[in-house]
Amino acid sequence: MILKDEMLDSLLTELSKEQIVYVPKQVNGTTRFAPYVSSDKMKLDQVNTVMPPKDLLFPQTQNMYHYGVEKNSGNMFIDPVIESADQILFGVRSCDMRSFDCLDAAFLTKGYIDEFYQAKRDRLTTIAIGCTEVSETCFCESMGQDPNHAPQADIQLRHGEGGYNVTAQTEKGEALLEKFKPFCEEGEVEVADVHCTLNVDASNIKDNLDILHESHELWDSMSYKCLNCGTCTFVCPTCYCFDIDQENRCKEGVRFRCWDSCMFSEYTAMAGGHNPRPEKRDRVRNRFMHKLNYFEDRYGKMLCVGCGRCIEKCPVSLDITVLIDRANELAQAEETEAAHA
Amino acid sequence: MSDITTTLRERARALMEDGTIAAFIGWEAGRFERQTTPLICLDAADTDRLIFDEYCVNTTAKYVRDLKQRGRIGVAVRGCDSRAINRMIEDNQFKREDVYLLGIPCPQMNDRKTGTVLNKCQDCAHRNPVTYDELLGEAMEETAPQDRYARAHLVSGLDRIARQNIFNMAFERCIRCYACRDVCPCCTCRTCFVDQRNVGWLGKQDNLSENRFYGMIRAFHISDRCIECGECERACPMDLPLMAINKKLVEDMNTLFGEYESGMTTDNEDALRSFSKTDLEEFE
Ligand code: SF4
Ligand code: SF4
Ligand code: SF4
Ligand code: SF4
Repeated sequence: MILKDEMLDSLLTELSKEQIVYVPKQVNGTTRFAPYVSSDKMKLDQVNTVMPPKDLLFPQTQNMYHYGVEKNSGNMFIDPVIESADQILFGVRSCDMRSFDCLDAAFLTKGYIDEFYQAKRDRLTTIAIGCTEVSETCFCESMGQDPNHAPQADIQLRHGEGGYNVTAQTEKGEALLEKFKPFCEEGEVEVADVHCTLNVDASNIKDNLDILHESHELWDSMSYKCLNCGTCTFVCPTCYCFDIDQENRCKEGVRFRCWDSCMFSEYTAMAGGHNPRPEKRDRVRNRFMHKLNYFEDRYGKMLCVGCGRCIEKCPVSLDITVLIDRANELAQAEETEAAHA
Repeated sequence: MSDITTTLRERARALMEDGTIAAFIGWEAGRFERQTTPLICLDAADTDRLIFDEYCVNTTAKYVRDLKQRGRIGVAVRGCDSRAINRMIEDNQFKREDVYLLGIPCPQMNDRKTGTVLNKCQDCAHRNPVTYDELLGEAMEETAPQDRYARAHLVSGLDRIARQNIFNMAFERCIRCYACRDVCPCCTCRTCFVDQRNVGWLGKQDNLSENRFYGMIRAFHISDRCIECGECERACPMDLPLMAINKKLVEDMNTLFGEYESGMTTDNEDALRSFSKTDLEEFE
């Protein structure tokens, strides 16, 4: 089935009647996924948005409950705030689709269900578009993704001359496809595959980091230049750490959660002043070990999808692919040494 | 530029080998074309990786704070780096004798994507290092911008509502990563007000009012010390026009307390930390 380019606006307008449709676009000086407005200028053929779509499911700041003391009765109240709405994420890429697998694992498995996340997740429908262009920092193929195809998406689109091929991949997708039909026609356009230009060998990185988790050579050299800002974690589609805090006004308050970053020293600060990760090195190590080792251990997948955002935005160009290369080298050297000993 | 790279490597290596310095801070090539990244050399062999070209966009002086316990630290300094060093000396972060400075007159740095001169370098009035132990290469003629406060004037000429819109839109997209603070040579407080969680100056929620509060307090807090290096704005992942604010504050400081430029010396009388009978008294 083909969706012609010129039908896109009508389709999205139709879809927007019943749900909020998030599309990649330029908003307020940056690019992110934001609600579609008819004849919006979208960024569909561009590389990744600056901000990932994770805030659709896991907002940077999310109210969890209101509490307080009622004026007349003097009774205490606690009202949970569980926000949820039917949402469509349109134009998401393979890497960001894969990031939802990671978030799902963290928020919905191992015997704990995060209801704030789940309420949003259950009502999200995803329409992926295969990439037609890659950025120099894209390395999703090295992390096991296919930039042309996102198997998790409810509907997959691929762009070719004049339009998109439309394929439903899940039940949800099949249902939504009905809405597509009036705007589509039979047939297929020819599409061309793209490939990442940045490639690293991440096949053994988990094992290599097992060997190197205490390697000063690796962690010192990788962390000297880090500023311990929160840029890399906040632009990352898979980083899911949060803090919980509250805002009080007189006899009422709201408890909220907000993104936190393991790169901040305050993240591990404990009551009494002790900090178990006192040095830059400890924090840099935690970030990369979590991404490339611990998460794999616990959930059987990497917590990096190769979107390249952290590489793009780190103010000192600290590059996760350089770390992977360096770890491979050092692990190899250690193994050779062990074999000779 | 390649001859500067060669001299830089030679001098850094010699200084490490003869024990003058314990570490050297410069730049090395990144993974991508036209990309460099800060390099901290801890032994002489590392100095072979040093480079200098027009893509050395990072101002690196702040690393001295992390390294100073190792001994004397060598730093490659252009105008901005040298002023950052002066600033940190004046703010008691280390002493002049704790650093050994290889000065490099700056050809101005380019944006790696567009190939055009970075905003911060267009605004720069001091391409030659203002303090150094050795100067590599010939000093060059300065190309100070005609209007030192041009970035501020782009905004300050607008009416109140327009100005408010610009800043609200900007702080609306701030993600509070604090990269602007973390690169800034003036942001050296032992505990930043942001991190004083128990006092609670700043809420952790990301919203316009908290973001604006963060940005403004930081700007005010360094307003008499800002060296106008523009590194905060370059580092910001969300492209906030931070220099419009900083330049405006520097302009106000100059108007209210007399002409000065922070970071030119180590004994400047910072307006907010010194008292003069001639200071403007607006509350008569
Ligand atoms: S790796 Fe880069 S983006 Fe991440 S904390 Fe360090 S300096 Fe900031
Ligand atoms: S670690 Fe970097 S490349 Fe990997 S998913 Fe996060 S932002 Fe993308
Ligand atoms: S660097 Fe930019 S996004 Fe980050 S806290 Fe500063 S102003 Fe906000
Ligand atoms: S321009 Fe920005 S980074 Fe530089 S001194 Fe001023 S506030 Fe700090």
